[in-house]
Amino acid sequence: MGFLLPILLFLYSPPTNVRAFDTPDDGGGSITVTWDLPPEDSAVIRYDIYRYEAQKDSGKLAGSVLKGINTFQDVGVKDRVEYSYRVAAVYPDTTVFSEMSSPAVSVPQWFNGKTKAALFILLFYGIVLFWFTEEAKKGRRTYIRKIAGLEAVEEAVGRSTELGKPILFVPGIGMISDITTIAALSILKRVAKKAAEYESRVIVPNFDPIVMVAAQETVKEGYTEAGRPDLYNEKDIFFLTSDQFGYAAGVDGMMMREKPGAIFLQGTFYAEALILAETGHSVGAIQISGTTSVTQLPFFIAATDYTLIGEEMYAASAYLSKDPLMLGTIKGEDLMKLIFIVTIIAGVILETFGIHIISNWFSIF
Amino acid sequence: MKREIPLFITFITGVLLVIALFVPHKPFGQLQQTFNDWLIIVGGFTMILGLDSLLLHNWEKIKRKKEGWISSAFLIASFFITLFWGFGEGAIAHRSPFDPSATFLRYFYTYVFVPLQATMFSLLAFFIASAAYRAFRAKDGNSTLLLSAAALVMLGRVPAGQEVAPWIFAFVLLLLAYYFFKEGSKTTGTQKTLYLIGALVSILLIYPVFYILLHYLNGIADWIMNIPQMAAKRGIWIGISLGGIAMSLRIILGVEKTYLQ
Repeated sequence: MGFLLPILLFLYSPPTNVRAFDTPDDGGGSITVTWDLPPEDSAVIRYDIYRYEAQKDSGKLAGSVLKGINTFQDVGVKDRVEYSYRVAAVYPDTTVFSEMSSPAVSVPQWFNGKTKAALFILLFYGIVLFWFTEEAKKGRRTYIRKIAGLEAVEEAVGRSTELGKPILFVPGIGMISDITTIAALSILKRVAKKAAEYESRVIVPNFDPIVMVAAQETVKEGYTEAGRPDLYNEKDIFFLTSDQFGYAAGVDGMMMREKPGAIFLQGTFYAEALILAETGHSVGAIQISGTTSVTQLPFFIAATDYTLIGEEMYAASAYLSKDPLMLGTIKGEDLMKLIFIVTIIAGVILETFGIHIISNWFSIF
Repeated sequence: MKREIPLFITFITGVLLVIALFVPHKPFGQLQQTFNDWLIIVGGFTMILGLDSLLLHNWEKIKRKKEGWISSAFLIASFFITLFWGFGEGAIAHRSPFDPSATFLRYFYTYVFVPLQATMFSLLAFFIASAAYRAFRAKDGNSTLLLSAAALVMLGRVPAGQEVAPWIFAFVLLLLAYYFFKEGSKTTGTQKTLYLIGALVSILLIYPVFYILLHYLNGIADWIMNIPQMAAKRGIWIGISLGGIAMSLRIILGVEKTYLQ
């Protein structure tokens, strides 16, 4: 076999043009290595990337990639230390090394250039929201269209009370870190307040213990605001399970046993959305749903009486509290939407004529 | 102070996380991961609260012999059996109560937990059918459009759809023509003419619709999913994103306080 080695070395060429540079827009500790694939790439088993620290002779294996890949991110480097790289193409019978790359140094960056557009939009949006809140402080009145799902809260609680049945509030399977869950808690507060006024019972089965604690506080606050803290029962807001379908089964069982007059499905939902909504429909409850999970919205629209679609959930607390400051932010949101619509239309027209200014600008996300 | 301290913590955490998005340099770059780690740690401890709530809730039901108390008894029994058997076998034999190779836990997971989950998930098929039955009714123009689009997408996504769809739609058009003709025969004048035109159009559409569906059904289904459906979805996504940012800013700046006591 040994006599074949010179022939194999002649047949197999190494990776060429090996470049090493500081990985852009990161927090340091990383160098990116790129190279040109040899013409015999299809015969390669893998590429081994060797790291050489300045003033040290022996290289260390930094990592390996499969054939066809010509980039590698070395995250095992120290900042402000010079490193050079060689890439070895490992063939079935031999290994061929590239030339040594020029030295590179990893430096942490203070700004992530990829988020330029996001920063611009955030700042602009922040200014718009600030302006509308200031206007609201000055007493400018804000018109907000009626949201049927939120208008129906009173009707649902009232109907449930008339029937002498409890109200079931399902906050979904989101965590407290989900904005949607916080929006759901805002709606829960309103429901609890109304229920306290009508002397009704609110049952809240929870998927997450932290949400359970927050829901307990929210319901307690709602009952207190309504002047009926005596009606508050902490045991009605309990933890069920952290398993998705276990939760669905538990809530379904509760619907069948308790036969609630009103069901609120508010929060983050996945595959269990329709299981819950259809069971709720089968027990004849008035159902108000709301979620930001776009794939579940059609199910809620089909199976429940009222649905808060996406952003309507986020607007709920402002809508229900009628707080001018919060309403101001909703107005700012509408202006941003208008700007987005104009940008999309302008983008479509410009792209049609082969001008890519807008798409190029957004592609830096 | 009961409100001010949480609001201050929220403000500081929110601002730091926003900075972390744009500044990769230490210490900001790792902040998100650090906060996530802390959330998991705190979440782990709150599970004790959850278990306390779960067991008390079900114990109450058993004590008062409420409807479905048998299920509660099963729950509590299953909880303690899993806990003690799992700890006993896992901790003693495998040195870890969470070792998935422990026989009991593996058996329980594979033959009890997974089938129960699959049972619940499979119920979805029946619920989709019942919800679709209510939603897809040709009551007016919009619902007819929804029904047609849904029928095209459903038939376009199943293996036999391409063969079946042309016949279904041809049959529907034939029924429509019959309906127009029958209604037209009951009326007179302009209305009769309109009904007859409707019947004629339905008959004339049979062949083109049959031909188009026979050759382009998959393309039509893909077009509905990729263009109008996606456009509507992205519209909702933009609204959700803007609403999410506005709500986050309201929370960070302390304007939104409904989640606090």
